[in-house]
Amino acid sequence: MAQWGRRLNKQSSAAAAVALTQPPVRKTRGGVHPSRELIIVTAVVVVAVLALPWMHPGYRLLSFAVTTCLTAIVLYGMAVPFGQAGIMSLGYAGLMGFGAYTAAILSRDLGMNMWQAMPFSALVAALFAGLFGLPSLRISGHHFAITTWVMCELLRITLVNGGKFTGAATGLDLPPTGKAFGLDMDKLANAYLLVAAFMLLSMLATYLIANSRYGRTLRSIRENEQLARSIGVNTDLHKLIAFMVSGVFAGIAGDLQAYSFRHISPDLYGGAVSMYFALMVMLGGPRTLFGPLTGALIVTFLPEVMRIDPIDSRIAYGVALIAVIMLLPGGIIAVTERGYQWLKGAARRARRGVSPPDVDSSPA
Amino acid sequence: METFIQELVNSLSVASVIILMGIGVTLIFGLTGIINFAHGEFLMIGGIGVWVLVSNGMGYIPALLISVAFVAVLGFLLERGLFQFTLPHPNNGFMASMGLSIVLQHIVIRIWNSFQKSIPEPLPGAWQIGEIRFIKMRVIVVLITAVVVAITFLTISRSRYGLALRASLADRQTAALMGIPIGRYITAIFTYGSAIAGLGGALTIALFPITPFVGSEMIMLGFAVSLIAGLGNVAGVVGAGLILGLVQGLSGAYGTPEWTTAYTYGLLIVILIFRPQGLFGGTMGPAIE
Amino acid sequence: MATVLEISGMRKQFGGVVALAGVDVTIKSDEILGIIGPNGSGKTTLFNAVCGVYRPDAGQVRWNGADITGKTAFEIGRLGIGRTFQQAMSFPSLSVRENVQIAIEHGSARRDAATQRWSTPEDLLGFVGLEGFADESASSMPFGNLRRLGVAVALGGRPSQLLLDEPAAGLNDAESAELVQLFRRVHQLGVGVCVIDHHVQMMAELCRHLIVLHFGNKIADGPTEAVVRDAKVIEVYLGAQS
Repeated sequence: MAQWGRRLNKQSSAAAAVALTQPPVRKTRGGVHPSRELIIVTAVVVVAVLALPWMHPGYRLLSFAVTTCLTAIVLYGMAVPFGQAGIMSLGYAGLMGFGAYTAAILSRDLGMNMWQAMPFSALVAALFAGLFGLPSLRISGHHFAITTWVMCELLRITLVNGGKFTGAATGLDLPPTGKAFGLDMDKLANAYLLVAAFMLLSMLATYLIANSRYGRTLRSIRENEQLARSIGVNTDLHKLIAFMVSGVFAGIAGDLQAYSFRHISPDLYGGAVSMYFALMVMLGGPRTLFGPLTGALIVTFLPEVMRIDPIDSRIAYGVALIAVIMLLPGGIIAVTERGYQWLKGAARRARRGVSPPDVDSSPA
Repeated sequence: METFIQELVNSLSVASVIILMGIGVTLIFGLTGIINFAHGEFLMIGGIGVWVLVSNGMGYIPALLISVAFVAVLGFLLERGLFQFTLPHPNNGFMASMGLSIVLQHIVIRIWNSFQKSIPEPLPGAWQIGEIRFIKMRVIVVLITAVVVAITFLTISRSRYGLALRASLADRQTAALMGIPIGRYITAIFTYGSAIAGLGGALTIALFPITPFVGSEMIMLGFAVSLIAGLGNVAGVVGAGLILGLVQGLSGAYGTPEWTTAYTYGLLIVILIFRPQGLFGGTMGPAIE
Repeated sequence: MATVLEISGMRKQFGGVVALAGVDVTIKSDEILGIIGPNGSGKTTLFNAVCGVYRPDAGQVRWNGADITGKTAFEIGRLGIGRTFQQAMSFPSLSVRENVQIAIEHGSARRDAATQRWSTPEDLLGFVGLEGFADESASSMPFGNLRRLGVAVALGGRPSQLLLDEPAAGLNDAESAELVQLFRRVHQLGVGVCVIDHHVQMMAELCRHLIVLHFGNKIADGPTEAVVRDAKVIEVYLGAQS
């Protein structure tokens, strides 16, 4: 069974080399152009996401949709250091917490609103993301992951024991956002649209980062750090920047979360939540365009829509995660995409009657 | 003064459970390189097993033995069915074990519920020596732990067999070429470490009520003591576990329990960053090629 | 413009093993220098100490007069000192084109270098003979091509001096001969070439200047014809070969 897993990994690497490290592309000289399929799927996703309020989802489902989008923003941030640079951190709930509490405290003490607080939330979270990420320069993957989990828990404990300043275990409340872009933010549907727009923006941002020179640099660090250094890549600096970028996403998500639900408390930002973030991003696939969104959807939204018992669904997530790690590298989207490519190849073969598709040219 | 000594003794029992967790983690993580985030769930299952059996009329001792055996079998199956395939990529094992801990926790919640479970004191009462009362069950926990520590120390840390074991695991390629059954050693250590965690759980429920989440609470302490002491260092785990357990127990009695965990975590971070091989020296986990 | 990499008094010890016991090597870009010696003589350690993989215990490294001892690996890469590694290194799951593209994007900015002629990955791949493989993933390449890719990646960094660590290890005679041609072409561009290898015949053909290391000591340093006939060298290394 180990052989099977290994063979899958190798088979996938050639076909997936281009497909996985960045979204599906038509191979052309001198640049990356999204393939037609990608554009179509993206358009469908954008429309579906934005059209949700008009499908009469009901208050409960809508609020889960808001949470899903907020989570997806954090996950798209995670895709930068994790998906591209290959470093896993279990501290993201804490970073979101920094963003949320910054927004809440600024609102309470300085009267700032959501938009004014946003740059500060992003900045604080980015700074702590860099701080959380510093140990990764010295210690290896699993040790580092444990360190970040511990740091996240430390934050939670500090929040609980922070007395009046942090609101202790009860947490803090926030005032209403008022109007934004002419829409009344008290209506959940409008809050959802705002959050969904940010989510789509973060999807775009991650896509641009992944396909930029910076994304390539991060991938080189993941693939072979020593080689990257020998050609002049400052690996330490780039890793830290990757963390800080992911912090920006988490901070903004925290700010949005605080104002969407108007109440935050420490248990939203503990190590267990971070673990669920990691689970989601691995399930969906950290290196694909729709992976993070899919992961957030499956874990946060789907059980509500399908009315699955929350306990059962958690058992399913755990099993799915194990399955993904052991058998389906790259996450669900990557597997779906591979399946789709295979189907395309099969259809092409059937039409032309030629043998092996070019996609599977690698030796096992 | 008497109260203090009493608290000290009580804290020893807390320390014992932490030590049992720590030994499992340090042996498994340090020697085999398998990072099992679900190790805490073995403790939880050990405790829940005892609860199920005792609630259905079984005596405590047979319940303990059966639970520990059950956890051992579970550990064996998981190593064979899951972890052995992640050995070349320990990070995958780590992530898969995160999923595993969620699965195990929620299976237990599904079958029973997430509320506290407890059993009647198996050995009620206390021994009185002078002014100090030694609660009998706590003393038993400490004694059993001491026996386990002794066995572990003698077989793995000190004996020739243990030395060969550790050497083989440190250089698997050579050992494999020499025909040493590394796979079996790894399975054996994993099973042993998991069984000890189960024992810890079975002992814990005799002292306090537990919930299905007790595993997550304990796993970090287990990681903390083993990483602080140095992976693979059983004596170090005992030392670190004693200190940590005493501090936890005493602060529970006298002061602020939440901050104790915070200080432990803080110390863990400092150690991981500045002295990853631990305070008393150990491996950093087998080398990852 | 010629460059000089001067290594003086280089010492490196690992526990009880002295890998380099005070070695002086001067690497000039205008001649192809070869470093040979039995396994364990310290050749790779020398490169590693120069390139920032290890910190030397003692000694100095000067690059065109400037002291660069103890600089980190990426700083050395930026200065225009490129290297390849004993094990064939690449970015495995990235495409061949991306491998080279990353190197080009991070390459040193020496304006007058002939290596600036490679502005796209395709140019560089063409130079090393890997044009047809641009879209293949690096991990799917046969070993000979992987070795070439390693050289291409190092070249992408626009080095003024290349340090090649056993670039022909694992290649057959035909493949080694092709590599020799490639190194000659690289040298003709004005890039310094310094090679560690065991193939004595290949080294004798390729290099005009040979250095022989033995247990961390330099036992010969001079024109190839002379070194090959040096009695000490024959006894220690070439004698064992024949």
